Amino acid sequence: MKIQIVRDVLEANDQLAGDIRNIAKKEGFTLVNIMSSPGSGKTTLLERLIPALTNKEIRTAVIEGDITTTADAERIARMNIPVAQINTESFGGDCHLGAEVILPALHQFDLNNLDLIFIENVGNLVCPAEFDTGANVNIVVISTTEGEDKPLKYPLMFRVCQIAVINKIDLLPHLRFDIQILEENIRKINPMMKIVSCSAQTGEGFDQLTKLVIAKR
Amino acid sequence: MHELQIATNIISIVEEEIRKAGKTEDIEFVYFIAGKMRAIIPESLQFSFDVMKRDKPYLEDAELKISEIPIKIRCKNCKAEHTLNEPVFRCETCSSPEIEIISGDELYIDSIEFSDT
Repeated sequence: MKIQIVRDVLEANDQLAGDIRNIAKKEGFTLVNIMSSPGSGKTTLLERLIPALTNKEIRTAVIEGDITTTADAERIARMNIPVAQINTESFGGDCHLGAEVILPALHQFDLNNLDLIFIENVGNLVCPAEFDTGANVNIVVISTTEGEDKPLKYPLMFRVCQIAVINKIDLLPHLRFDIQILEENIRKINPMMKIVSCSAQTGEGFDQLTKLVIAKR
Repeated sequence: MHELQIATNIISIVEEEIRKAGKTEDIEFVYFIAGKMRAIIPESLQFSFDVMKRDKPYLEDAELKISEIPIKIRCKNCKAEHTLNEPVFRCETCSSPEIEIISGDELYIDSIEFSDT
């Protein structure tokens, strides 16, 4: 005997993600989820972006989810903003952050006194795209050392994001990398994507990125 | 790697449905629908399912049947519908970027089949 079920396998996660968005609305903060491959420069990007936001009196916090060490959390904590470290396994760990780990992390903060909360997701272009974290804004970071075809290989990631940051443009003179081809490929997947090129190392492009992030509040 | 989490979710939903239906027969098939957009590797999901079903009552002999759904878009501008064979999310008829995905992002259990014996 066959019985019809028709149940989404991510229903539990999606429901929690909805709860998180309700909390964000009630408490008046914006949740920004940053995703990329390992080594694209998510932490360095936050180290540039957060002081720029602090200068504009925007109160930030970070949920740090990159696996294995607390090294990233320590880098973020040096900026004197609240950090919640999601404890993943020391060896391996999970490939993404689900809404069920974001919710308790949020409760570690004084939500009333925050404007923007960043999630530094696990370095991976596949799984994090699949699991809704409850974020209001999704950002994908791709660096110039990664190859122009990344958007075509990971279309879901580039569909779920509203902002694409092309990082490490300071390395362009040393690379055979065509930034225009990358932009064309991003637009093939998501014609509405806001694209910003920058270098988290030199700070180039961060005025534009800061404005874009503020505009999403 | 997200296939492992998805397999785990499939098993817990099926277990819940078995309880709800008050069934004591073994499950023979679980019919699963995966849209192409979701980047599921069927072999990997199958493998994860087979690992996770071990020692689960009624599920030990269950087979996961995966159907993949192609990505279809509809143009908001000219209303044309297209099935995507390559990842270009634009209307093939009028090139408008204003499209909606009408199928291809499914990720659900359609049905379960109990063995009749």
